[in-house]
Amino acid sequence: MAVLKTILYLLVYPGLLFLFVYGTFCEWFDRKVYARLQNRMGPTHTGRWGLLQPVADFFKLMAKEDIVPDAADKPLFTLLPIVGLAVVATAGLLMPLWNPFPEAAGLISFQGDIIVLLYLLSLPTLIAFLAGWSSTNIFSQIGGTRVLTMLFGYEVPLFMAVLSPAILANSWRIAEIGAFYRARPLLLLPNVIGFVVALICVQAKLERTPFDIPHAETEIVGGTFTEYSGKKLAFFRLMTDIELVVSSGLIAAIFLGGFGGSPILAFLQFVVKTLAVIFLLSLIRALTSRIRVDQVVAFAWKTMAPLAVLQLLIVIIIKGLLK
Amino acid sequence: MKFNIPIGPQHPALKEPISLRMTVEGEVIRDADLRLGYNHRGMEKLAEEKNWTQNIYLVERICGICSHSHATCYVQGVEKLMEIEPPKRGLYIRYLVSELERVHSHLLWLGVAGHEAGFDSFFMYTWRDREVVMDLLEMISGNRVHYAMNTLGGVRRDLDEIQIKKILDGLVVLRQRTEYYFKIGASEPTFVGRLAGVGYLSKEKAIALCACGPTARASGITADVRKDDPQAVYDEVPFDVCTADSCDVLGRTVVRIKELMESYKICEFLLRNLPAGDIAVKAPKKAKPNEVVSRYEAPRGENIHYIRSNGTERPERLKVRAPTLANYPATIEMLKNGFIADIPLIFAAIDPCICCAERTVELVNARSGEETVVRFGDLRKLAGERFAKSPVKRNAVWPF
Amino acid sequence: MKVAVFLPELLRHLFKKPATVDYPFKKLTVPEGFRGTPFLHPDLCIACRACERDCPAEAIVITQESDVEKKFKMVIHNDRCIHCAQCVDSCPTNPVKAMDMDHLYELACFDRHTLKTEWVFTRATPKREPKPVPAAPASDRAGIPAK
Ligand code: SF4
Ligand code: SF4
Repeated sequence: MAVLKTILYLLVYPGLLFLFVYGTFCEWFDRKVYARLQNRMGPTHTGRWGLLQPVADFFKLMAKEDIVPDAADKPLFTLLPIVGLAVVATAGLLMPLWNPFPEAAGLISFQGDIIVLLYLLSLPTLIAFLAGWSSTNIFSQIGGTRVLTMLFGYEVPLFMAVLSPAILANSWRIAEIGAFYRARPLLLLPNVIGFVVALICVQAKLERTPFDIPHAETEIVGGTFTEYSGKKLAFFRLMTDIELVVSSGLIAAIFLGGFGGSPILAFLQFVVKTLAVIFLLSLIRALTSRIRVDQVVAFAWKTMAPLAVLQLLIVIIIKGLLK
Repeated sequence: MKFNIPIGPQHPALKEPISLRMTVEGEVIRDADLRLGYNHRGMEKLAEEKNWTQNIYLVERICGICSHSHATCYVQGVEKLMEIEPPKRGLYIRYLVSELERVHSHLLWLGVAGHEAGFDSFFMYTWRDREVVMDLLEMISGNRVHYAMNTLGGVRRDLDEIQIKKILDGLVVLRQRTEYYFKIGASEPTFVGRLAGVGYLSKEKAIALCACGPTARASGITADVRKDDPQAVYDEVPFDVCTADSCDVLGRTVVRIKELMESYKICEFLLRNLPAGDIAVKAPKKAKPNEVVSRYEAPRGENIHYIRSNGTERPERLKVRAPTLANYPATIEMLKNGFIADIPLIFAAIDPCICCAERTVELVNARSGEETVVRFGDLRKLAGERFAKSPVKRNAVWPF
Repeated sequence: MKVAVFLPELLRHLFKKPATVDYPFKKLTVPEGFRGTPFLHPDLCIACRACERDCPAEAIVITQESDVEKKFKMVIHNDRCIHCAQCVDSCPTNPVKAMDMDHLYELACFDRHTLKTEWVFTRATPKREPKPVPAAPASDRAGIPAK
């Protein structure tokens, strides 16, 4: 029985199926908000209000011809989309969602899961780089190097920003951090700087404007994914969608007080809070123009990193005061 | 390590086929090579087979954005050949459409620049507002793209009071929006940071390389056919030539926005002072043997048509020199030592109209032939260097 | 340096009606003088061939059906037509032009040959009493108003 429940847990909720459905929904939400901000309609015809458009896109890509370039490193090229999807789906399991299968609880919530989650969220970047490099296309390779260059910019501020609330809550467990802040909502306020830094870094991690440099189509065509097509591209797109869900969930869990209360309430909180974060991310996307890769690194180290350090200092001082 | 990056003939940054080949070191462009000829349509030859009237519609189709520019340039020339003088009202309407076309072209360019800089919201908003002027043009002429307003000896459609009122109303909206974009452009830090200092072209270089239009004006050169060699109505209309001194993409943006404001002024003047009378005179079927060069300030720069007649119903020769062609050498200069990220911006900043520029086969052959010679030496050296350094590198080089 | 000047504009439009139109389901109306597809009023045409001569796309072909009768056939190749309306300008009949433009704009189809329209008519004598303005033929494409 326990095995069956674990399998259900992994595959249905909050595993793959849930992540797929919610990921495509979030993509729809992002596209719709982005379109509305630009006075356009956004997806309209597939399903009610175009809700099924991302799903339709996914299945259409699945049905397309899948081309592997002759010069590419074939095993790596083929394996990367699957590994990428697996990594972000694993990260999705660590979300402190309402859990209907207590038997599997040990799998997903433990001291230090925030570190594991952050680590799992760094992997897609590496995978994108490898994907670009293994395609041996000139555009993909430039995209790949840009991915890595950016990684050195935003990763450190992101870690510092995300870990400072954890330091204040004195826990390395996402669920506990959320519970800590739900008990003392006022303590969320000192973390505002960290919240902003984390939002911007997540925007960079997800490679969205103004950080869509690795796949800036007017410069380097499809960037890292230029050579990908068909199923592999569909997997990569799904990977990005789930990454969006997981990172917005992480921000919501840590900076917005997590998801507590009865199961239904917790789930509703999850939806509302992640959508709020995604709304902010879409707003940033609509508001800015792409910057150059050297500008990203300069911005990350000159503005983001000091802000993150400031956040850490604030947290440490407050912690001292609380004692 | 040096790469060769091919941009085009098919590339998302290019709306029309052209091939740019870049030699880059890291993210910095060291050398650029431009190849034309992917969009040659043989229009000049075709023009020799059609009569004077039919050719208006043919030259109009040289370009979709500045369709009126080519038609007007041609018609001006043929009217000189036929020795006919269009009535004042006709001329006023003709150049009113010219200015409206400049408005739509510059708004389009603003949007494209926003898109190339990765600022898609700006792109959406400018294009939404461009619809206002597109609708006006459709109302005046009956079509959104190929207005077909010109005929030999005047224009084909008159304006009535209601239409004049509508155009004036539309201009108010457009002016308001343009001022808003000017404000945005001046104060959105990511946008300005992205444009300033990109694609530098000094005044001396701009003169030496014969840049024209907004590209030249952004390098501080006051060259505008409307002022230098005023056609028909432009000596009656008060307006300023807009220039900028920053010599970069930001300057080109500023020049275009300023020109928008000037165009609104010109349109309003033309509408308020629209003389009464006929809109066209009858044109003869044939033109006496003669030749003429007609100049016109298109949105992208100076457009030149050379027309020779031999006394028949058809031109003996029609030669078109579109502004984009004049700006190509300057583009190469601008690209050098820029970043890869700046290629689309720099290239878009001359507002290239590739199908306009693709006229003569001879020129293309001469150019690319000469360039190939230079390239091969380079290429061999380059290939040698790379081979020495990194022997195993599968398929990393674009097969030239 | 101000950050995000575009923000008010974006938020203002968040709950506004989109500027775009749900095209195949909703259509914008075209202005009065729109140049759609050319068509012939066969009872007014004097078969002078001015339109055929001036058409830049060579989309109009006029042939005489038989030598004895004054019967003519006009074919307009809509697949070649560039919708310039020069044929209307060139047509000399007075006061109503034999050639006219309607407001059709959705002309896409799978076979270009179906875009051909033809009329067989007897040549009108030029100096006849002007006829009343004939109505444009009803559109055969659903949902598009003819002129
Ligand atoms: S509209 Fe123009 S192209 Fe079409 S038939 Fe008439 S003259 Fe020819
Ligand atoms: S349609 Fe007009 S121009 Fe054409 S043949 Fe008939 S009368 Fe002449």
